[in-house]
Amino acid sequence: MIEQKIDRKAGKDLEKLISVRDMCKIYNPGENEVRALDHVDLEMEKGEFVAIIGHSGSGKSTLMNMLGCLDVPTSGSYFLNGKDVSVMKDNQLSEIRNQEIGFIFQGFNLISNLTALENVELPLIYRGIGRAKRHKLAKEALIRVGLEKRMEHKPSEMSGGQQQRVAIARAIAAQPPVILADEPTGNLDSASTREIMDILKGLHKAGRSIILITHDNEIAEQAKRVVRILDGKIVEDYYNKEEQQEA
Amino acid sequence: MGNFVEYVKMALKNIKANKGRSFLTMLGIIIGISSVIMVMAVGDGTANAMNAEVEDLGSGQISVYCSEGASNAGEWITPEDIMAIKENVVGVDGATPSDGASGSTITGKGEFTLTLGAGTEDLQKSMNFNMKRGSYFTAADVEEGNRVCVISDSDAKRLFGSDDVVGMDIDVEINGISGNYRIVGVTQQKENTSFVSYTYEGMPVSLEVPYTSFSYFGWESDSFYSALVFANNEVSGEEVVRNIIHTLESRHQCAGEDYYQVQSFQDMLTEMNDILGIVTAFISCVAAISLIVGGIGVMNIMLVSVTERTREIGIRKSLGAKTSSILLQFLAEAAILTILGGIIGIILGLLGALGACSLMSASMGSAIQPGIKASTILGATLFSCGIGVFFGIYPARKAAKLSPIEALRRD
Repeated sequence: MIEQKIDRKAGKDLEKLISVRDMCKIYNPGENEVRALDHVDLEMEKGEFVAIIGHSGSGKSTLMNMLGCLDVPTSGSYFLNGKDVSVMKDNQLSEIRNQEIGFIFQGFNLISNLTALENVELPLIYRGIGRAKRHKLAKEALIRVGLEKRMEHKPSEMSGGQQQRVAIARAIAAQPPVILADEPTGNLDSASTREIMDILKGLHKAGRSIILITHDNEIAEQAKRVVRILDGKIVEDYYNKEEQQEA
Repeated sequence: MGNFVEYVKMALKNIKANKGRSFLTMLGIIIGISSVIMVMAVGDGTANAMNAEVEDLGSGQISVYCSEGASNAGEWITPEDIMAIKENVVGVDGATPSDGASGSTITGKGEFTLTLGAGTEDLQKSMNFNMKRGSYFTAADVEEGNRVCVISDSDAKRLFGSDDVVGMDIDVEINGISGNYRIVGVTQQKENTSFVSYTYEGMPVSLEVPYTSFSYFGWESDSFYSALVFANNEVSGEEVVRNIIHTLESRHQCAGEDYYQVQSFQDMLTEMNDILGIVTAFISCVAAISLIVGGIGVMNIMLVSVTERTREIGIRKSLGAKTSSILLQFLAEAAILTILGGIIGIILGLLGALGACSLMSASMGSAIQPGIKASTILGATLFSCGIGVFFGIYPARKAAKLSPIEALRRD
């Protein structure tokens, strides 16, 4: 009976884009252990736009590290696009990050001595894509975020909003199934915030799957689905009404 | 491995972005490589010049002398021995006793110490000189014990202020006995012989005289401590030496007593080269230490660079760079820095060697070409490469092993 249940679940895990089961992450195991994630279950379909919201210390950064394959859970399983990530080694995780995930960070995380175009090309280099195709994909991505005139600029020559758009271009250039945005508007003024959110919404409309991590309710409301995390547990998981209507 | 090119490009980009620091990093390697190259080139060049010179004038010269045993037994080398060697040993062009005396003379220019080298007319075969005026003393002079002499042009100038001195007499005092030597010939130093006969002020004036002329000063001229034999290249040097010893031993019936010993010019040359080689090796070792120090410099800068670029490493890893990608990128950077430093060092070293050699040539009046060997350059390049990789491994591994979360968290 139990075996059947597991089998059924496993089958389901392979269909979903993201399927997290009973995930725990414990730092400093022993007396002073910190349960950053406490038996988390989460599923996400392809094409969804999910906001994960929580205060600092709630475990949302840990969850983002897990979802982004930057770290492995202490226990539980994580299937990403049909692959069991929770048992992978460092190099396999690198490969998964390269192929399945596009990161957008709060601090943009562009490499300062590379131009916008070169920054966007980076994940394509690590994927082993040849020069010509790389250029083409990177240019397309930069055009997609409206930076066709800034390709040869270095990050220091651009505004925060432009830098974040370069980061978005970098995240989408390799066409990964998941875009993982960690407080993408945290360092931006309201105008740039709107700009970035519009781009993300546009990407969602175009069929991309987006996970947005934020502490800001206003931002979270712009997503289609909101997952609230508190003390390492998911306490709320609902669909935004307006967004549903809009969709 | 198509990606390897990309890592090299990344490394190059980074080196370019930090030009000043990259240069300072290379400085140690530049100094190390250039000094190794310079020392080796100058050392080889000096050895080459010496060899060429010595081969030119003395390759067939064999010095025969009596051991302690021979003098204890009262066995010496006699004029008859010399004749026997000259006539019986195949491959010998000439032989002469090698005798000498010192004395003094007073001329209008002052008082001078004299060194008289004595032998038969065959002594001229050992000359590093060409005749400039007059001629060498002859077999007849030796036969008759004439007090005639040959002097170099520079010594003639020191004694008389001119080298036009053929026919003039030098008043010589040896052993408290005075006698005059008539100058029959003036010699001129051959070109490129500065190592073998370098004269300077204060050195004794040297004359070459017939050995028989010493009888005037009360010297017996029928037994000698040493002799010079001049071999041509028809027979191998070893065989000539064996035959000389054999001739002497059979004439003195002392086979197996080791009374007579031989040193050929070739032996001296080998010894000289050995000494030069040791000196060069020693200086090269000192220079090589600076290479290792340079390598540690590269390692230090790379470590600083890893710390400074932690965030960059985190970004790259989050974008899918594998441990090996980061490792290769940093290793390529260290290797390129040292290879570049190596190349600059090679160029500077060669220029330095050229400069040093022309300086030495100018001061010694002989042409020394820096000995530039492909193997030296190749070796230096490989060595600097090796240093780059070796000292790059630690920082590169440190960079590659950073966890992406840790790396991204840092500023």
